Amino acid sequence: MAAQLKVGDRLEPVTRNVTEEKMVEFERCVWDRGRNSHSDVNAAKADGISRTIASGQNQMAFLHELLERNFGDAWVYGGKISVRYIHPVYGGDSLTANGTVTEMKDEDGKTRVVLQVWCENQDGRKTSVGTAQAGQPSASRTWFTPAKALAK
Amino acid sequence: MSESSSEFKVWESIPVGDDLGTLDYVLTEKMVADYRRVVDNPHAAYPTVAARHPANLFYRKYASTMRVPNMGHDSEYFNPPVVGKRITIHGRIADKYIRRGNAYIIVEATATDEDGRLIERSKLVGLAREVGKQAAHANIAKKWGA
Repeated sequence: MAAQLKVGDRLEPVTRNVTEEKMVEFERCVWDRGRNSHSDVNAAKADGISRTIASGQNQMAFLHELLERNFGDAWVYGGKISVRYIHPVYGGDSLTANGTVTEMKDEDGKTRVVLQVWCENQDGRKTSVGTAQAGQPSASRTWFTPAKALAK
Repeated sequence: MSESSSEFKVWESIPVGDDLGTLDYVLTEKMVADYRRVVDNPHAAYPTVAARHPANLFYRKYASTMRVPNMGHDSEYFNPPVVGKRITIHGRIADKYIRRGNAYIIVEATATDEDGRLIERSKLVGLAREVGKQAAHANIAKKWGA
């Protein structure tokens, strides 16, 4: 059984480097959106900024990892998140996804862990802020099943 | 809202509840592998994060008139998508409002797979930018000198 969280607990953070190359790839993977202000400097200039910025969803990906690692199935099956992107992220930045437990609440007879979540850059500046919630952490990682097996 | 009659003309023309229709795609093993590599997370459960379901549905209908740069997301996750399954997304305009002089549009997309599994419901908080009037990220440039 995974350790249960209480108000005031801080999640083990996740730090990832953002590179121009990965920003471009992020825009192309899963669903190619073509050139845009996250992947092409000319598109960025057309949108009113001098250089490319990482997409908000790129930050969301890091928050997902934070919650997957700390909550397991409890996040993956039934997690909620609400995030606002408040400061631009650039290639070369190092982002750390964080979470702190702020509340326990009852929902349909089950405990939901409510957290403040945020990403901050290498200067300690918050780039996104929000809240997330999930059930108490689970030791199960059922989605780890290899992709090929899942396809059967 | 006297100022909105001219300043937010296109935004006003987009009705709350507007049906954005559906789109579908098959989630391939390559899509999942690419996403996991790009985000440095070999076990990432939701590669759909990079697919931007709400934005794709919105732009299919409104790309010629409106941009909605992403100010935030409100999302729920129910079941991780499965490789090889067709994912169908359905979208609608969930809300819109003016805050601090800026117009916003909330675009909701719900994803289910071919077996009827609910995968995720995601709401994009978009800053409404009329094409040809305002640069999509002018607010970022103004605030942070980007």
